[in-house]
Amino acid sequence: MRATPRVCAMLGLVIGATSQAASVLAAEILAEPPSDLIVTVYRAPYRSSGSISLNDLGGFALVTETRIVRLPAGTSRLRFEGVADGIEPASAIITGFAGGVIEKNRDARLLSPAALVAATLGKPVELLRTIRKTGKTERLAGTLLSDAGGGVVLKTEQGIEALRCSGLPETFSFEPVSGLSARPTLSVEVRSPRAETRQVTLSYLSRGFDWAADYTATLSDDGKSFDLGAWVTLANSNGVGFPSAHTQVVAGRINHEDGEVDPIDIGGPILAQCWPRGSTSDMPMVLRFERGSSIGSMKATARMPAAAPAMLESVAAKANRVTQEQLGDLKLYRVPERTTLASRQSKQVRLMDRFSIPVNTVYGADVDVEEDDAGSTPAHRLLRTKNTAANHLGLPLPSGSVAVFGAVGGQRLLEHESDLRDTAADEEVEINMGESPDVQVTANKEKVSVDRAPDMLPLVPGVSLRSVKIGAANRVAISNARAGGIEFELRLQLEAGARVVRADHALGAKNGRPIFFLHVPANETVTVRYQIQHTVDRILRTP
Amino acid sequence: MRLPLLFVACSACLLATSAWAADRALSVTIYADNLALVQDRRDIDVKEGRQRIEFQDVSGQIRPETVSLAAANISIIEQNFDFDLLTPAKLMEKAVGQEITIVRVNPATGAETREQAQVLATNGGVVLQIGQRIEVLRDDGLPVRVIFSKVPDNLRARPTLSVSIIGARAGTRRATLSYLTPGLGWKADYVALYNESDSKIDVQGWVTLTNSSGTAYDNAQTLLVAGSPSQADGGAVNNYRPPPRRSTLQVPGTESGNRERLGDYYLYPLAERTTIANLQTKQVSFLDVHGVPAQHGYEFRNRWLGTAETPVSAKSIYSFSTSAHAGLGDQLPAGILRFYMRDKRGDPQFIGESRIDHTPMGSTLSLATGDAFDVKVHAVVEKRTRIATFDWQTDMRYELTNALPRSVVVKLRQEGLWGDSSIKAESQKSTRSSAEAAEWAVTVPANGKATLTASFETRY
Repeated sequence: MRATPRVCAMLGLVIGATSQAASVLAAEILAEPPSDLIVTVYRAPYRSSGSISLNDLGGFALVTETRIVRLPAGTSRLRFEGVADGIEPASAIITGFAGGVIEKNRDARLLSPAALVAATLGKPVELLRTIRKTGKTERLAGTLLSDAGGGVVLKTEQGIEALRCSGLPETFSFEPVSGLSARPTLSVEVRSPRAETRQVTLSYLSRGFDWAADYTATLSDDGKSFDLGAWVTLANSNGVGFPSAHTQVVAGRINHEDGEVDPIDIGGPILAQCWPRGSTSDMPMVLRFERGSSIGSMKATARMPAAAPAMLESVAAKANRVTQEQLGDLKLYRVPERTTLASRQSKQVRLMDRFSIPVNTVYGADVDVEEDDAGSTPAHRLLRTKNTAANHLGLPLPSGSVAVFGAVGGQRLLEHESDLRDTAADEEVEINMGESPDVQVTANKEKVSVDRAPDMLPLVPGVSLRSVKIGAANRVAISNARAGGIEFELRLQLEAGARVVRADHALGAKNGRPIFFLHVPANETVTVRYQIQHTVDRILRTP
Repeated sequence: MRLPLLFVACSACLLATSAWAADRALSVTIYADNLALVQDRRDIDVKEGRQRIEFQDVSGQIRPETVSLAAANISIIEQNFDFDLLTPAKLMEKAVGQEITIVRVNPATGAETREQAQVLATNGGVVLQIGQRIEVLRDDGLPVRVIFSKVPDNLRARPTLSVSIIGARAGTRRATLSYLTPGLGWKADYVALYNESDSKIDVQGWVTLTNSSGTAYDNAQTLLVAGSPSQADGGAVNNYRPPPRRSTLQVPGTESGNRERLGDYYLYPLAERTTIANLQTKQVSFLDVHGVPAQHGYEFRNRWLGTAETPVSAKSIYSFSTSAHAGLGDQLPAGILRFYMRDKRGDPQFIGESRIDHTPMGSTLSLATGDAFDVKVHAVVEKRTRIATFDWQTDMRYELTNALPRSVVVKLRQEGLWGDSSIKAESQKSTRSSAEAAEWAVTVPANGKATLTASFETRY
């Protein structure tokens, strides 16, 4: 997996050697490949629940590399090849130098055919021209004059010519160029009092990572308890792999700005556009006037490498579970052994396994009391438990997705998939199980008028009109087509100032909202009736 | 058909161009908002009389209207910015009416035949006159090389700046070319390592400059200005107002540093000359302070008197001073401050970041790094009653939970108290930091809960 950086390291050596001669200021040194790696993956700051998408990894990682460097005395430019493609250069920290770091640089001019031409502009170049029939190659010394507008113009002793306009196979042989690297490269300028070998640590934030917890809940046959297991799923969409790395993930939402990606010149092929090549058999073309190229159009657009379909690798060993520790106000999960996080790979490590967690199944519905006739809607089913030690839990549950399995005739089948937010110890856990068509909620209004108006004095302008109205009775029928009785929570959505003043069932409250806690027996319908009091104020205006 | 060839004498520009390679001193002043002033001092050879001087290696995004050239004993006639680029198509277009050499290559033998031709037109295809015959270039698809005798004068590989001058007397002299260019910018990046055991932070500050101007600035003396002068042409009115960010500046400082200033902007000169390559991100250290006392706390802001469906995490807050005593002792240019903390193995781990604005010395900063996993607040509207037409009473309950093994203090801030709002009853004394907000400091015991209730009367 580390083959690509090694190749580019060799390239860098070749280029480095040539630029060493050119630059009088600093010797160019290449740091050795990392001897130790730590990768800490953070999830996408905007995702509060749910699993990751391999096509769009919105999280990031802190990569810490330990490398050996051999510094000569004096000032040298030290290059770190093979850092992650998604590196945020402003976040790089390099420690371990005796002398000071003069400056850190990230060069985004990459070695490409087009960059070679641009770098050779105005400099000598060799033109190779081959006659197809004879196979003879002619070598012509020349100077590159222009690569503007995608065409290449050069000057030889014979005169001015354009590349690849003659119909003959033509190409360039370039002289060595400095300052171009195979991939974005980080370099530091350091001053060392003497020649020495040092171990330095480079750490940086990089995009193209993400992780989530993927839970599987297996309900018992009676539905009164479940077993909860979870994987940590982490993924890397960078083109660089991290072999034998200490790997950990951090749970909790932290601030990390998307910001702008610093410009990268991806480069391109040598475009050899020519003069108009129309022939006598072509249709006439509409005359077009080319506008002068606008100044400032050379800005490079940065692109993240597209994530290739990542392979899925599972580390299925119950013993190899992550260990959790507190990191400030966050939770850090450490993969116990060193592991290789390869490029474009997703990896799973066991997070937890807990058994026989008691659970309540609750059905519920929200009813908007202002709606006149909402018709029948299916109720929601919820699995509810508390994240406590008594319930065989009592540990932080990082956000992710939950797949709930139920047993049918001894076979495990998927019942529902939903999301889980970050849940601290002792918090209530609710797993949404979707809609239940067997439990229907029908809400409508009864025509019952409550008229308590006493004899009134006449209204005069300026008086405050407060009418306290009790509306028509609302009726909610909950029908249960299931073979067993269910617990049902009917939550009412009231507008400000309204309250329930009459009802035929006991009324409770949750989160400041009126709620009826009901038991609906098997194959029966329970009807709840209640009345709302509104307070409406008006000022009677002078006519 | 034959047009007389007009050879414009270009000896002056060639001579001048070669002279540019000589001793050169660049100084670059970079403003915070994608703008830089480049001052380019070089020795130029000037002849007596009228001549044209071409400037190579200027910014690819140069604003030509801002160029000024200063040198002794010259007077400037005009400045030109040519952006007619040298491409094969342009080369052929400019050769219309002129002689070119064509070399026909026999595909069977490789034998070459040379002929002189005159270009008649380049509309869609190249039409040539060879002797008394008319031909279309490479109409048969067979290989034909075209050789031009020269490059037309005003075609260049890159947009080029040239100045026509009159030299009073010949000789080498120092000239200063200065211009403004976008494509160069800088910001600050801070690294703060928080030590949990003694509540201290080590802060390093780096200036990060980026160059996407298309040109490298070799061995330049670099000065960074913490501020952005308003640009006359770059000011489109932006009517969109983003939602207010949490203010990081708690107490604005009143101390003066000994850093150099330009007007009201602080200056950050780089200690050594540096080369700013194209498409390079460069970082240079400007601040390194150890053992600054810092406080860690929690903050929860309820934006209006509303109910949350589930508990919401409190923000994890780090605050410290930029004062000369017990602080960073420097003013901070705007940028991003990244917090790190050591894990159990001793490796520094990232725990969140916060943007800061230009901050004077002596200020108190309060930075939110993210959400606390274990400290949550559940805000609930218990009851809302109408007292009069525009008079409401809202009873709020805040359930605070703490799953940490130590007690914490949460700064709970209720916002959205518009108009004439007052607190009728509360379970703990509040402070009113402004008419718009009320604040409580609620202690939540280790692995425990705390409840705060307050009753608001709002009139509007």
